[in-house]
Amino acid sequence: MTHNPLCKPWEHRLSRRQWLGGAAGAAAGAFGLGDITSPAFAADLKKKYKQVLFIWLDGGISQLESWDPKPNTEFGGPFRTIPTSIPGVHFSELLPHTAKQMQHLAVVRSLCTQDDAHSSGIERIQRGDPKNRGVVYPYFSAAVTKLLGPNDSGLPPSVWIKPMSGGFIYKDAGFLGPQYGSLAFGDGKPPENLLRHSSVNDQDLLERSQLRTLADKRYSQTHRAGSTEANSFVYDMGLELMKRQDLFDASKFSPRDVERYGTHDLGRHLLLARRMLEAGVTFVKVNSYGWDSHGDNFNGSLSLVRKFDQPFAAIIEDLAATGMLDNVLVIAMSEFGRTPRVNGHLGRDHWPEAWSLVMAGCGVKRGVVVGSTNDNGTYVNSEPYDIGHMFHTWFNALGINSQKTEYNNNGQPLPIAHEGCHPVKELLA
Amino acid sequence: MSASQRTTRSAGLTISLWVALWMALAAGFTPIAFADELPARIDALIASVAKDSPLGTSSDDATFVRRVYLDLAGRIPSWQEATAFLDNKEANKRTQLIDTLLAGSEYPRRMQDLFHAMLMERRGDSPEWTKFLQTSFEANKPWDQLVREILDPDPNNEAIRGAAFFHTKRLEKVGQQETDYPGLTRDVGRLFLGMDLQCAQCHNHLFIESYKQVDFQGLYTVYQNTFIRNDLKFPAIGEKVLTKKADFSSVFDKVALTTGPRVPGGKEIEIPTFEKNEEYLVPPDKKTNFSGTPRFRPMQFLATELPISGNKAFANNIANRLWFVMMGRGLVNPLDQQHAANRPSHPELLDLLSQEIVAQKFDMKSMLRQLALTETYQRATLLPAGTEPPKPETYRIANEKRLSAEQLMTSVLVATGSRDKPREVEMEKFRAAFVKAFGNVPQDPEVEFSPSLKSSLFVLNDPLVLDCLVPQPGNLVERLLKTTDSGALADELYLSILTRKPTDEERAAVVEYLTKNAERRPAAVTNLSWALLASTEFCLNH
Repeated sequence: MTHNPLCKPWEHRLSRRQWLGGAAGAAAGAFGLGDITSPAFAADLKKKYKQVLFIWLDGGISQLESWDPKPNTEFGGPFRTIPTSIPGVHFSELLPHTAKQMQHLAVVRSLCTQDDAHSSGIERIQRGDPKNRGVVYPYFSAAVTKLLGPNDSGLPPSVWIKPMSGGFIYKDAGFLGPQYGSLAFGDGKPPENLLRHSSVNDQDLLERSQLRTLADKRYSQTHRAGSTEANSFVYDMGLELMKRQDLFDASKFSPRDVERYGTHDLGRHLLLARRMLEAGVTFVKVNSYGWDSHGDNFNGSLSLVRKFDQPFAAIIEDLAATGMLDNVLVIAMSEFGRTPRVNGHLGRDHWPEAWSLVMAGCGVKRGVVVGSTNDNGTYVNSEPYDIGHMFHTWFNALGINSQKTEYNNNGQPLPIAHEGCHPVKELLA
Repeated sequence: MSASQRTTRSAGLTISLWVALWMALAAGFTPIAFADELPARIDALIASVAKDSPLGTSSDDATFVRRVYLDLAGRIPSWQEATAFLDNKEANKRTQLIDTLLAGSEYPRRMQDLFHAMLMERRGDSPEWTKFLQTSFEANKPWDQLVREILDPDPNNEAIRGAAFFHTKRLEKVGQQETDYPGLTRDVGRLFLGMDLQCAQCHNHLFIESYKQVDFQGLYTVYQNTFIRNDLKFPAIGEKVLTKKADFSSVFDKVALTTGPRVPGGKEIEIPTFEKNEEYLVPPDKKTNFSGTPRFRPMQFLATELPISGNKAFANNIANRLWFVMMGRGLVNPLDQQHAANRPSHPELLDLLSQEIVAQKFDMKSMLRQLALTETYQRATLLPAGTEPPKPETYRIANEKRLSAEQLMTSVLVATGSRDKPREVEMEKFRAAFVKAFGNVPQDPEVEFSPSLKSSLFVLNDPLVLDCLVPQPGNLVERLLKTTDSGALADELYLSILTRKPTDEERAAVVEYLTKNAERRPAAVTNLSWALLASTEFCLNH
């Protein structure tokens, strides 16, 4: 098909400007920014695509065995501390690799949140625990993909790499609507129907796409534009993802990277996450399970924290080396921390009163520790921060003014982060 | 329980209502249009709002036959059916076709699929619910009766007991979440009254003056008293004895208020008191795990007071929803935002339709027929050249409509000549795959065309779709491969999939493509067929 009369799919891909302008019509308008209110916001975003890597340690990593160790105290546990690349900052000895990357990181040691149950806590934290207005708020992933809008990667804006099953996870999107849900890759595997059927070769696939595009182009000459735009958008994204099956091909990773990240779930999944970020996915979430160490916390942490340490340090190092860290916001956290008091099963229980998280990149200040806890780690003895403060901070790191931008939920204006909280200035570069 | 028994038992509750209804009728509804005049009156009201803006042209026969098959039979016509209609020279052939389809065997199934998606919003299915809808639409059951059977399901009537699924599915506990009584309350308001009272749960609605907190709470009082019966093997709902009003207060002023069961906008009913041990009509039975039938049942009260001709919101809601089904956009839009601040695009028209559906005793088939006969319905979707596209709410041109997963599935089978291929068991697999790919996610109303990555990957790569394009005796691709004349092939291809002849330009493009790919004609023919199945034109009812 040389010089064929058919047009190419990419000629029809909606320009970023069209989407941002909210001109995509009713059917596709859901992808636009038309229902966010903030003057001059869309223009700012065009400068550089921001991305997020969100690492969720499900069940609750112990702050005492990671970011806020209290050695030789009542509740300190058996592990020692080690110095990091920033003088005066110490981590638990379970984080030897990450300690070498501290110059890129910002640690918050003064989190004080509202919920000590997993079932409700996970949702409250990931939705930013806003004031109850009778609506279900979006998870951070959905909020970010909504507020940043689409980029031109042609890939799904939000993917979730997790152990076990995958699919299209839409409930996280709350009132924003299911199109802001995540495409989940169960155990890093591709979505259903991604593989080209054996009866269709590459030439067929290309021609099918061209013929469909031609048919849609003809139809749109006499009909409202929104429908064909929406239809073309999802076919182009499907074809783009089919072309990028290499994203899921573990054999394409260099042996050195595989060794640096590790062959365990979190190692493989963070390596895949790096690839997704490089390919242009806006929001990549990686889940690790099993952190709820009510029993045998210390042996558990010995194994789990180390499994986190190795690939986390590797991805921070890689993103920094390529300069991507300037535009990728990295967050690693749980729904709460763990009790300083050690229970009868040598475990630590749920503790939202005083815990830690770590972040890096994008507009986050590098090499800082913010906040502190008292000597035995039971309570925050600096200004306590709720998850709402973190949402404000993250949005601002991404270039979104969290105190001026609002969602518009069918006429109901809704703040994007809890209005009783504010961005933490010490965390912002 | 028969209708007469129900009336006797609840006579005390309903007398006031019947009086109110009689008074409303006596006070003079405007005279009802003769049924035959209705389409003309509808068209006149559309034209009067459009004023000087020109109305679009009538659809051609090919567009019409496709549209009306999709709306009334749930699928596109086969190429033979389309040809028969196009060749028919009779002047009233459109009316004939409408009547044929409404009388046909596929109409009840189309209604069943339509109302399943509308009422359950893809939460899931149950054979008992399917049976309820099927028997209801086979009998052309009036809407008020259908809703009455849903609002107070009768577990003793095998044909309709599955109506309880509307409630039981919504009361199922999901994970560690609380039973969603507020969600059920909200859906009753949304789907039967066109009123989304969600924001009125905690306070009077901030922006919608007519939605009061007591409207939500009066319904909620009914539903927070219900539970899924576990003594029966089919979906069934039970009620506890209700002895006192529900307390509530606005989150704003915290003033303590109470209400008993109440239809939104209606009068609160007093909760009767009974002597001890007299509160049950049928007492609980521990042996059978039967929870008892209270003498006072708020669900029975709702079923008697809500779906009635005197309830304007109820009549408006179904009039608006049937209009939406045929015209692609509600006169009140969104469909569940019926209130004073969200005026219908054509208030007089909604009044007319609402009165008409009451006059026709909630006969939905009759209403759909009247709507199908209008010029408004039969107009083309083509944009007028050289001017701004008309706003959808003007109906100056017809609006494109999303095809449901069920319409798409059956249409793919018809288009590709595979209709007889799947056997009964495979058919369910086929249906489930299409619903998964094209249905909205649970609890999301299917209103607009909303393709997804899931649906595009399904059409691109799923064997269920691609197998329909493998040549089989008598199917589309096999017929096309037998056609050596490429122009004739283009005609048959377009007629089979898009229910129209190709334009000269389209025919030439097909011929050129086939000529260039003469040495791989089977693949080329398959590619052409696939492209039309994936096209926007095929995925819409235009």
